[in-house]
Amino acid sequence: MKKAILCVILCFSLTASGCAADSRILEDLGMVQTTSYDLLPDGMLSITASIPMADPEASAKREVLTVVAENTKNGRIKMSRETQLILVSGQIRNALYGLSMAKKGIYRYMDTLIRDPSISPELKISIVEGNAGELLRKDYDQHPRTGKYIDHLLEKESSWQTIPRVTILSFLRDLFDDGIDPITPIIKDMGNSIKINGIALFQDDRYVAKIPADDTMIFAFLKGSFKEGEINVDLSENGDKKEYAMLSSLVSGRKLKVSYHNQQIKVRCEIKIMCSILEFLGDLEISNEQDRNKLERRISDKLTRKADSMIALLKQHKVDSLGLGSAVRNKIGYANWKKMNWREEFPHVEVENKIKVVIKDFGEVR
Amino acid sequence: MTKLKEKLSFFHVMILTYMIQTGVVVFSITHLEALHFGTNGWLMALFTSLVVLVNLMLIAIVHRMSNGRSIFEILEKSIPKFILFPIYLGLAALWSMIGCLVAKEYVLIFQMYAFPTTSPMVFKVAIDILAFLLVIKGVYNISKASTVFFFSTIWMNLLVFKALDDIKLERLTTFLFKEGGDMFTGFLNIYIAYIGYELSLLLFPYVNKKTKLMKAVMYGHLIRTFFYLMLGIVSYGIAGHNLLKKMLFPLLDLLAYIKLPFIERVENLFYGFFLFTTLITLVMYYWAAGESTLRIFPKLKSSVHYFVIILCSLIVSTVPVALDQVLRVLYLLGCAQIVIAFLLPVILILLLLIQRRKVVKHG
Repeated sequence: MKKAILCVILCFSLTASGCAADSRILEDLGMVQTTSYDLLPDGMLSITASIPMADPEASAKREVLTVVAENTKNGRIKMSRETQLILVSGQIRNALYGLSMAKKGIYRYMDTLIRDPSISPELKISIVEGNAGELLRKDYDQHPRTGKYIDHLLEKESSWQTIPRVTILSFLRDLFDDGIDPITPIIKDMGNSIKINGIALFQDDRYVAKIPADDTMIFAFLKGSFKEGEINVDLSENGDKKEYAMLSSLVSGRKLKVSYHNQQIKVRCEIKIMCSILEFLGDLEISNEQDRNKLERRISDKLTRKADSMIALLKQHKVDSLGLGSAVRNKIGYANWKKMNWREEFPHVEVENKIKVVIKDFGEVR
Repeated sequence: MTKLKEKLSFFHVMILTYMIQTGVVVFSITHLEALHFGTNGWLMALFTSLVVLVNLMLIAIVHRMSNGRSIFEILEKSIPKFILFPIYLGLAALWSMIGCLVAKEYVLIFQMYAFPTTSPMVFKVAIDILAFLLVIKGVYNISKASTVFFFSTIWMNLLVFKALDDIKLERLTTFLFKEGGDMFTGFLNIYIAYIGYELSLLLFPYVNKKTKLMKAVMYGHLIRTFFYLMLGIVSYGIAGHNLLKKMLFPLLDLLAYIKLPFIERVENLFYGFFLFTTLITLVMYYWAAGESTLRIFPKLKSSVHYFVIILCSLIVSTVPVALDQVLRVLYLLGCAQIVIAFLLPVILILLLLIQRRKVVKHG
């Protein structure tokens, strides 16, 4: 027994002494929380990193470093020269890409993030409308430190479905899948705050178009099933009085039905939305069942029309960000799928949207 | 040879089989399935498992015919020792190297996450000391330890439920084995993920009829099959076959779903739990190597055998330094082990048939 204990002690002391070179002292580490990338006109990268400060003696809440380099890892070496901290990537939560880079394609700059085992595949990816570095360098007085602010903003909004939760794993998965194109949220510096400004649509790894912030819920309905969320529907027609319905506690279910006859593909997208209505500005009486049914039909029609225009936008830019291709692929068989160039075929596919809204309650008063 | 008074129980053998089969391939099996078989490659875990069951049937026949005699006794009854001893040495070398390199692969993967510049041999020696302390206790105690290790790791399989929301069945596609690569190499790679069950050939003297050895081994193997299939469906459902082809160790990326709000990458700590399953794999291979050399040098104490085996394999394992090299060598050794897993029971059945005929003749 004594021998065994001795062996175990020997084993641990051997391990501990052997790892001396790899020891990390928490106070000496600069744990990058958010990093941003912009492409400069000369092809160089402008990289910014935001590092929360653990040192109680430091007055600043974070350290922000910006360097210009030809690639990301070299950028890190250059950054390291500017700080007393040992920079580590294990705690990165967000990677922001400037629009300049997104338009050229971001995969080659992402490769290092997925290759580095210290970086989580759950790292969130976003596009910044404008300069990503400028946004990250800026302090927003009314809000927590910028990196944390962005992280919480993205987390909260994705839980309300206004933007998709895009991680490096989900982005790359959609990039490599031939039946869907990747998307990311777009954020924008609004002066005193940061705003979610829509969804970026990618053709392979290149940004090509965006869905405006007001329409992101329509995109969420079309993209898949979800629970939780709210939407304000503008029901006013031209010349009419203004009419708005605020739908909350959304539970949306999507069913895709693909038919394939004589080389013709037709996709029917059936969406059923259960919701509560908590605010309505208009002439209908929502506590009256007939009026409520009428309202349900009007909201359904309006949302269906909006969904149709969104599909038209996707077709115009030849991006299947909804993943309709995956459903088509599974329906038509491998040989037919491989024969087809989905990107070219997608604009010609007939997509029929059918949205049905059911108001399950209308608040506490009649 | 250490004679045990107590025999292995059904439950212990079942758990032990599962634990030996759970090595380092578990980290990369879905990558291998996607790389070699493409769409729905996870189904290969099922097909390969059926081939393993055929192999287990052969071993079951040997077990039934042997009447509890060890395979070495059966071999030595018909084949002269001067032929057998080099074979025993070869088997011992193969088994100890498999055990040793499994541990080395574990260490090299571990070092991608932590202590990247420390010499891998520091960790390797530490693991080998633990393995030595366990292997000298004999197979009965190893099986008891493996039961404890089993319960400290099996819960991790339930973590897949954390990822349920992200699983989309349409990513599995409706196509079977499209966009894959070399399917034969793929089959061998997946078969290697199952090896370890064949060590049940050496358990004959340590069990009795109550153990129901082969049933226990089969159940252990079926548990492993079930979890490989579950892992396959989850990995394909989350990542899709194209991304899986790119990810070398998809299981480690799936662990990223374990998240704490205040710290990232906490899942890397969970990697440490896999040391338990790896440890049982290497201990059992060292034990098998020791069983083999004990026939050649029966007078030497078993602990001396294990010490020499572990030391020799440790020295040889310093040769491959890169993860890629280790993977390549392990693949070759794994292939050799597959051949032995089929060949040995066939030879034993033939010998037992000859021995039975001789008894009948003389009788």
